[in-house]
Amino acid sequence: MTMRLVSAELVETRQILPGQWIQSFHAPELAAGSRAGQFVHVRTGDYSGLVLRRPFSINTADPATGIVTLHFRTVGRGTEWLTRAREGDRLDMLGPLGRPFEVDPRSRHLLLIAGGMGMAGIRMLADEAVQGGRQIVILFGAQRASHVYPSSLLPDEVEYVVATDDGSLGHHGFVTELVPGYEAWADQAFACGPHAMLKRLAALAAGRRDRLGVAKLGRKKGGGRQDPMGSTAARRKAFLQVSMEQTMGCAVGACLGCTVIGVDGPLRVCREGPVFAAEEIAWESIA
Amino acid sequence: MKARKRVVTSADVRAGAKAAKPARGADKPKRTPTVRTIRSAIVAVDRSARSGSGRPRVETGRTAVADRGTPLAARPTLAEREALDRIDLSVELAPQRGLRLPNPIMVASGTFGYGVEYGEVVDVQRLGAICCKGTTLRPRAGNPPPRVTETPGGMLNSIGLQNPGVDAVIEKYGPVWQGWKVPVIVNVAGESIEDYVEVVRRLDGVPGVAGIELNISCPNVGKGGLQFAIDRDAARAVTAAVRRATDLPLLVKLSPNVADVRPIARAIEEAGADAITAINTLSGLAVSADRTRAFLGNTYGGLSGPAIKPVALRIVYEVAQVVSIPIVGIGGVTSLADVLDFMACGAVAVQVGTAIFADPELPVRLGDELRAECLRRGLSSYAPLVGTALPKRAGAPSVKGAEYRP
Ligand SMILES: Cc1cc2nc3c(=O)[nH]c(=O)nc-3n(C[C@H](O)[C@H](O)[C@H](O)COP(=O)(O)OP(=O)(O)OC[C@H]3O[C@@H](n4cnc5c(N)ncnc54)[C@H](O)[C@@H]3O)c2cc1C
Ligand SMILES: Cc1cc2nc3c(=O)[nH]c(=O)nc-3n(C[C@H](O)[C@H](O)[C@H](O)COP(=O)(O)O)c2cc1C
Ligand code: FES
Repeated sequence: MTMRLVSAELVETRQILPGQWIQSFHAPELAAGSRAGQFVHVRTGDYSGLVLRRPFSINTADPATGIVTLHFRTVGRGTEWLTRAREGDRLDMLGPLGRPFEVDPRSRHLLLIAGGMGMAGIRMLADEAVQGGRQIVILFGAQRASHVYPSSLLPDEVEYVVATDDGSLGHHGFVTELVPGYEAWADQAFACGPHAMLKRLAALAAGRRDRLGVAKLGRKKGGGRQDPMGSTAARRKAFLQVSMEQTMGCAVGACLGCTVIGVDGPLRVCREGPVFAAEEIAWESIA
Repeated sequence: MKARKRVVTSADVRAGAKAAKPARGADKPKRTPTVRTIRSAIVAVDRSARSGSGRPRVETGRTAVADRGTPLAARPTLAEREALDRIDLSVELAPQRGLRLPNPIMVASGTFGYGVEYGEVVDVQRLGAICCKGTTLRPRAGNPPPRVTETPGGMLNSIGLQNPGVDAVIEKYGPVWQGWKVPVIVNVAGESIEDYVEVVRRLDGVPGVAGIELNISCPNVGKGGLQFAIDRDAARAVTAAVRRATDLPLLVKLSPNVADVRPIARAIEEAGADAITAINTLSGLAVSADRTRAFLGNTYGGLSGPAIKPVALRIVYEVAQVVSIPIVGIGGVTSLADVLDFMACGAVAVQVGTAIFADPELPVRLGDELRAECLRRGLSSYAPLVGTALPKRAGAPSVKGAEYRP
């Protein structure tokens, strides 16, 4: 669906973890028209002098009930304002925005990797993949056990593997350290989280073919046409797709405020992204 | 390997979050305007002469009936509808060359792309005009990210004039603009007078380009990077050079980052600009969260939004007293009250920028609200609202401390 301004009625606010919230909104247009990886630009109360909207991933969308959820962490005035909205309040959302994850129709095994709030970026993909009959492993990294996303909020069909920085739950270390164990199993990988994590994953993905020794199997040199970089077709074939973040103005591609540096020049996170094939990003530009 | 769910997490914490919602800010009190007759660029078209060859007559301010009638209902009656339709919001920004806008609410350069990005969310045909993103001779990749951040009542941006270059802009958007009835004004930037002239030459005669807005807040490479906008002679030179290169309506956009804007505005008028737009962003800075560096990739950024409105009003107010060409007010417009404030200070039109990001429908709505305001006051055009706050005789420059004493 094309973007539009939607008046979304808040139906439930839940604190799922310290400082982390899931809000459910009745917004049938968004629920029916959104795909995993897309986001909404939410207007906060302007009484407080906040002049910009806030971007949030569409966490889940259920066309049957018309409910979409957002999952966010309170980090500043905008997200704090959101937690004070009451059931029945209508929020002004612009969406759905950006381009979604593109799953190759032949992929059976999907590896989803999330760091912290990155769970909100890949959560809906888990639903879509379950519906598509695919097998899913979610690798999730958090600082400590108290920040780990509750498994009860995930579909039953997924395998959920956790890493914590302090070892208080699951693997002791970074979530990226779990990835090599799944790279032979996975047909495709999809990630959202801190840019440093995505950069590490991109490096791992680049070396994967060589490690697996299946590099160019079945691919004739020079054979077949190259899909243009950034096209849906090229993304669908990419092993790793990443969902990026950047501070935004308009979120519709008009202000050029939200760029990240791509191998061919600046890319707008709101328009060319937020999901990119890992090959599109100039990772050396990311700290 | 078969995927199945393993429970390895902590409990699901549930808690209510039902703090009371703060009350919305009360509406700004409306001021009663003092109406006086001023020289105005607003042209009230004689309806009967519209299809014929009759020249539009210039409406000089007429006494307004400042009645405090009840605001229009959401859905006007047929009679109200007809009365609204009779109100003329059109404005001529380039009396000698012809740049007639259907209404005085424009969208500001850099905040509305090329007019296509907001797609179905905004009915662009109902805008007064569109100023497109700054366009340069060659493509520019712009500044390193991050490029925007929110600040109290505003935002900083350092886009760095990312654009595909004038030829690509013409090729890609020219045909689209040609099909629109809303005038599109191309905002032009450059690093030398030759750059500006060459860009404008290429735009000259392109169907769909209704006018030029010169962004002179750019470093002049030939003068050691000194901005054209802060140097009276450079501002005069670039305006004159562009004037010689085109007969397109020419608007020149002032920078607020100067001590006294008046000599610059006068120089621009003398060099042949059709109108002045003011203001561009104010130079500013934000610090990274860990306070180890500047937040923006480019270190400095331009401040825009409600925070700059008083500065923009002051500049429009000063410029209105020293030039006789039309002035377009820009800076922090978010409501009809803001539009009326700029008009009171001498602007015949306004541009809306940053506010679009929060409220994309705002510019179109402001046009409707201005029309309703005219009806409420019994006006057939908004000309009587322009310049009402200006002093009868020109004042001393505020920078000399004549008006400003802390
Ligand atoms: C495409 C996209 C999807 C996102 N999805 C989610 C999500 O699902 N859940 C979630 O918790 N957060 C998400 N974020 C980050 C979220 O937008 C910020 O946490 C939020 O804007 C912070 O607002 P604030 O007023 O509370 O914080 P403040 O720090 O006070 O915000 C100040 C300004 O910075 C901007 N800003 C601050 N942090 C970020 C950030 N990380 N990314 C972009 N802009 C930022 C704000 O929008 C605002 O303009 C997403 C960001 C993007 C770009
Ligand atoms: C993201 C952004 C990009 C801008 N780009 C340009 C530009 O390319 N050329 C220009 O003359 N002004 C540019 N401006 C300035 C605006 O046109 C306007 O003068 C300024 O933002 C003040 O108006 P506002 O407070 O309504 O935003 C830009 C402003 C913003 C916020
Ligand atoms: S936020 Fe404006 S272009 Fe992406």
